Amino acid sequence: MAFEVPKTAYSGRIKEIKLGSGDKAVIVGGETCYPLYLFEGEMPHPPRIAMEVWDMPPQEWAPAALEPFEGVTDDPVAWAKKCIDDYGAEMLCLQLVSTDPNGLDRGADEAAEVVKKVADAVTVPLIVWGTANLDKDTEVLRKVAELCQGKNLIIGPLEEGDHKKIGAAAIGYHQTVVASTPIDINLAKQLNILLGNLGVPDEMIIVDPTVSCIGYGIEYCYSVMERMRMAGLTQQDEKLQFPLICNISKEAWKTKEVHIPTEAEPKLGDAKKRGILLEAMSAMVLILAGGDVIVMRHPEAIKLVQEMIAELTAK
Amino acid sequence: MVLIGENLNIMSRTIGPALKEKNPAPVQEMAKAEAEAGVDYIDLNIGPARKAGDEMMAWVVETVQGVTDKALSLDTTNPVAMEAGLKAAKGKALINSISLQPDRLEQELPLVKKYNASMIGLLWGVEGMPRDANERAMLAVDLMYKASEAGIANEDIWIDPILTPVSVEINQLKACFEFMAMLKDIAPECKSTVGLSNISNGTPNHLRPYLNRTCMIMLMKHGLYSAIVDAFDSELISIARGNKPEIVDLVHRVMDGDKPDLASLSEEEAKYVKTVRVITGEALYSHSWLEI
Repeated sequence: MAFEVPKTAYSGRIKEIKLGSGDKAVIVGGETCYPLYLFEGEMPHPPRIAMEVWDMPPQEWAPAALEPFEGVTDDPVAWAKKCIDDYGAEMLCLQLVSTDPNGLDRGADEAAEVVKKVADAVTVPLIVWGTANLDKDTEVLRKVAELCQGKNLIIGPLEEGDHKKIGAAAIGYHQTVVASTPIDINLAKQLNILLGNLGVPDEMIIVDPTVSCIGYGIEYCYSVMERMRMAGLTQQDEKLQFPLICNISKEAWKTKEVHIPTEAEPKLGDAKKRGILLEAMSAMVLILAGGDVIVMRHPEAIKLVQEMIAELTAK
Repeated sequence: MVLIGENLNIMSRTIGPALKEKNPAPVQEMAKAEAEAGVDYIDLNIGPARKAGDEMMAWVVETVQGVTDKALSLDTTNPVAMEAGLKAAKGKALINSISLQPDRLEQELPLVKKYNASMIGLLWGVEGMPRDANERAMLAVDLMYKASEAGIANEDIWIDPILTPVSVEINQLKACFEFMAMLKDIAPECKSTVGLSNISNGTPNHLRPYLNRTCMIMLMKHGLYSAIVDAFDSELISIARGNKPEIVDLVHRVMDGDKPDLASLSEEEAKYVKTVRVITGEALYSHSWLEI
């Protein structure tokens, strides 16, 4: 008897969603198989990388992370343009770090103006990420949604505690939402149900399972994402058939390991290479787990991951 | 189905202070209410009771026996308190529980024999929670062997396979069911019990009964002998007493692979079917599992 390669029986499909608008809009999702299992099904759209931009100059970035953005970190518009023009970014993620109530605590109006400027200056899809402070995100992201009507931004994180108010604004001004839960599949499903009950259309939801980097519990993130894909693709669980977004760069670049200078710990190798590899490898793990959009920082880390994606999706 | 009422519990806002102050009224009211609700045993949960646990347990046993002659389940991890409770109990008491840690076995197995009690054998090993059905089976056999050495008859052992919340790790729940299906072959004379409300830990309070009831019915299919339950869930008690054969039948049919068309069922029946699906892991649990 001839050997037959065992094949997973898929019964579901990840929903396709369109991010951004115009020529540079990006479609993600649509998988009918586990991530990159092209021998078992289809992955019509490759995973995408969104380059990170901050709305204020970073104070504590490792030198290796700052170097590629020298001269633009005090101007989000210039920073965003550099990502696109110099590093070929297909998507951007504007992190509204300045709105953190425990930091600069910049007001909603001012923060939204900055988002608007960036959104007007670029044509690629723009993710706008708050600080996960329920009250502040509600204020800021509602304003952002209103001011940037027509841009189809991706705004988040929406959590159980603020999903109604931000969700309502997203519906009203037609922005996609990031449904965010703390590494828990049951809670993730629940939030997706709640957003559906609120009236957010399926094609305007992308799910953030909450991620951490290698050495800091990425195994748990992997398991939860893997389990989501199993439920969505093999158990017809419609509430877990959403594309996934992973905001990994800030996790990788805040670790102790990327901040230790080469000379302080020669055994750990070159500090720059260390940070780049930590980010790239963490991102790759998340893609293998099912990540559809990965937020990344360092151009060289992005290049490494894009090469991997190209190889793994080659026909 | 033998029902053990769980409500007389030191974690309760009324019972906790009453136990600490030795105030009999709330304790007796609760015991009477549980007896009237129709449970067979009243669980007296005094917690770890590290300080003067023996006094507390003897007092609560006597206090409860003053108002009801229901059998008692003595629930503490303090062996000295356990012995004081056994001494004070009039009928055949149930020790809740003895796990497989060597010191617990050494201190508490002799009490079962000495006081002619029954015991709940909690399948919690030296390494903690068993990981699957086979580890549960190993622990069960080990426990039977050690109990037998201590002169305890198998029918006095109520095996507790440890029921875990549906919202935590579904594979643990599956393992618990798988083990329960094996138990009658491994230990035909042993009895069994579960802490039923564990399955709905973390679920919004008003929805917990659906999980508890459905889970009990599902375990009944595997011959569950008893369960530690919320004495005030009258629907659950009614099911356990055999008054809802059509619901039991429906749940068992779904477990056997029947897929009834939800639209053809009553709202109540559909809730049971949806709940079976989350407990078996066929559908992933979320707090809105009854709505989708």
